Amino acid sequence: MTEIIKNLTKYPELALLLEEAAYNGSRRQTRWPNYQFFGYFCSYWPEEFLLALGLEPLRILPPGTNSTPALLPAYCCSLARNSLQATIKKDLDDLKGVGFAHTCDTMQCLGSIWSSEYQQQVLSLVPPVNLKAPGAKDYFKEEMLALFHHLSEITNKNPASVELDQALELTNHIRKLTKKLDQMRAHLPSQLTADLLRAGQVMPREKYARALENALPVLEELRENRPTKPLILVSGAVLESNSLFEMIETLGGRVAADDICTGYRHYAEPAEETQFIKDPLEFVIQRYMEMPPCPCRHRQLDERIDYLAGLAVDRKISGAVLVIRKFCDPHAWDSVPIAKRLKDKGISTLVLELEGSAVGGQERTRLQAFLESLAENS
Amino acid sequence: MTEKRYRKLDSTKQLEKIMTRYYVLSRHHRFWGKPINRPLAWVTSGAPVELLRSFDIHPVYPENYGAICGSRKASSQLCQVAENAGYSQDLCSYARSHIGSILRPDLAPMKGLPRPDLLITCGNICGTVLKWYEALARIFDVPLLIIDTPYLTGDMTNRAQDYVHTQLQDMVATLENITGRSYNQTKVEEAISFSKETISLWTDIRSLCKNTPSPLNAPDLFIHMAPIVVLRGTKQAVNYYKLLKAEVQQRVEQRESAINGEKIRLVWDNIAIWYNLYPFFKMFSERSACFVTDTYSGGWAMELEQGDPLESLAKTYTEIFLNRSAEFRAQQLINFVTDYNADGFVMHSNRSCKPYSLVQGVIRRKVMAETGVPGLLIEADMADQRVFAEEPTRNRVQAFLETVEAI
Repeated sequence: MTEIIKNLTKYPELALLLEEAAYNGSRRQTRWPNYQFFGYFCSYWPEEFLLALGLEPLRILPPGTNSTPALLPAYCCSLARNSLQATIKKDLDDLKGVGFAHTCDTMQCLGSIWSSEYQQQVLSLVPPVNLKAPGAKDYFKEEMLALFHHLSEITNKNPASVELDQALELTNHIRKLTKKLDQMRAHLPSQLTADLLRAGQVMPREKYARALENALPVLEELRENRPTKPLILVSGAVLESNSLFEMIETLGGRVAADDICTGYRHYAEPAEETQFIKDPLEFVIQRYMEMPPCPCRHRQLDERIDYLAGLAVDRKISGAVLVIRKFCDPHAWDSVPIAKRLKDKGISTLVLELEGSAVGGQERTRLQAFLESLAENS
Repeated sequence: MTEKRYRKLDSTKQLEKIMTRYYVLSRHHRFWGKPINRPLAWVTSGAPVELLRSFDIHPVYPENYGAICGSRKASSQLCQVAENAGYSQDLCSYARSHIGSILRPDLAPMKGLPRPDLLITCGNICGTVLKWYEALARIFDVPLLIIDTPYLTGDMTNRAQDYVHTQLQDMVATLENITGRSYNQTKVEEAISFSKETISLWTDIRSLCKNTPSPLNAPDLFIHMAPIVVLRGTKQAVNYYKLLKAEVQQRVEQRESAINGEKIRLVWDNIAIWYNLYPFFKMFSERSACFVTDTYSGGWAMELEQGDPLESLAKTYTEIFLNRSAEFRAQQLINFVTDYNADGFVMHSNRSCKPYSLVQGVIRRKVMAETGVPGLLIEADMADQRVFAEEPTRNRVQAFLETVEAI
């Protein structure tokens, strides 16, 4: 399999996706000069709307430095600090706007700072926190409609004349392709899958779909038949690089499932496939309400924990790595009951605190000990 | 002999009496509450308690308890207990103190809070309260009721209000099932009426601090806000604030100040540093600086809307200041500085309260630009004293006061 990575020139579609993942959208203006990007931070931001209005969604993944912008204290996550620094440095000025789907307290504050301090167009979407609350769906629909109208205004389009169908077709197609990739990942290097999934959030979606379509048969052909490494589940928030995945692979593990914002959770379909719904808007709403929840949303008390435990069992996971980004409250809270449940199910679990997305010597030591213990147990 | 700087209000005796009574009643709830079917609920500070009171539910406030743990310097040890159970040191110290008190009641003030029959969390103050109460629901296996109040990026929207209203209607049905009692609009209206009267009195008391010299300082506001939190919606709270208002009014009439020789008037932003409440504010009062108002205790001075009780509660509790944008909060602070004729403001950058603190940099900049007064930012924590660095804080306070004095 390492042959794939060594001989990327033979596989131009894969090379394109890996390059895009490496750039994380930072070279969008030179690589994709004919596309107008719109930045967003959270998987609850409806990409379909942007695509329908001729915009390209770009997940904002700032460089992995440890910025300390004056307007944010040191005790907030590096994603927020680095993103704010990116806009201070005017790295995001070409974007048509920036969208905040309400998630945690930190991103709520970042959105508020952004709209208050900078000239950039900032749009907000406040999805229900309790997705099963009475009235949540009606509220969400109204909120989505308001967002769609705002987006139409900034793109000078009449919302009544905008068709969602094509955009839905594209996003659904991408979700189906990534599902195939996700199901194959036990046979692929961890960092490769992580990169291929992240690429789909930082490049034009149509190009991504075409490249992934062509890459999947290659991956299918070259995949390892029998994974011999211990299979790992990684759960956490945003990871801007494949650093953790690469280290897991290097130390003898294989990430066979993920639950991270920049990974498969971004694409995951509801556990029960969304029924065909004639109204495209209804379809979009249903999808975002039913997708596997992140810790910032609530459905049943233990739904997320049940989902992760089920995923671990389905993928024959031997160990789980729960990543807590420093100062990320929602994931820190959830790590306690998730670790307990997984351990009760006999799945070894490591809670790993990271400053950013990059792993270093300290993490290496912990991961090595963890993976060695898995190997011994197996 | 150094003159005593802190002038305790006579009403404090009554305050201690009613708060002790409240906690004694709560602690012995199992003896009196069960027989007369009055469930005990753990409730977040921003929940519409008036509705709960109409169902004869006895509310207990873990956040208030967190403040007690902080002021009794029990938090750090309790936080460590929670941390040993897996809860990150970066999480809210009220939540960690409370969870620590559940795991090790022997270390906790009052041996912890009485066991809840149900949990009610309202998201209008932060995202933490949802996760905290989820954790509690797993520990106690009791019903968890969630009120989802959408964050307001601008003004209140009809869709947000309708959504919260629908949830409250549903909550009524749930509470009818839990308590076996029927919804009684008259009782909700009565609780709302008590709340309104309490809020009106608290607003008047706070307004009296516009006088020079100010009759109250920040510690007074923080200590005397307890009943508006835990006894909101009751006659007891109304009676207490009548007493307090009379005493504060008398101070004003007699030109009696909260501190000796008030020279500097300041506004406070954020929750108190409970474990260091008096020594911290003494750093200011010994240099004749008085905190004449604050945003935190002012959070309970919001006006309850007229009209249908559930609609009124939906609107009022969604519009709470912590559920609003930095722009809104900056304007609120600008109004305080202007209305109270303040010479500066101090912001507690509180590691435990991200929604309160992370926007303070922007707010500080705006308020300074708009009012021309200086603002100081101090990093600490409301309950966990391990992160408080006294000497650097003292240096910053001294430098700030010198700046204010020089203006």
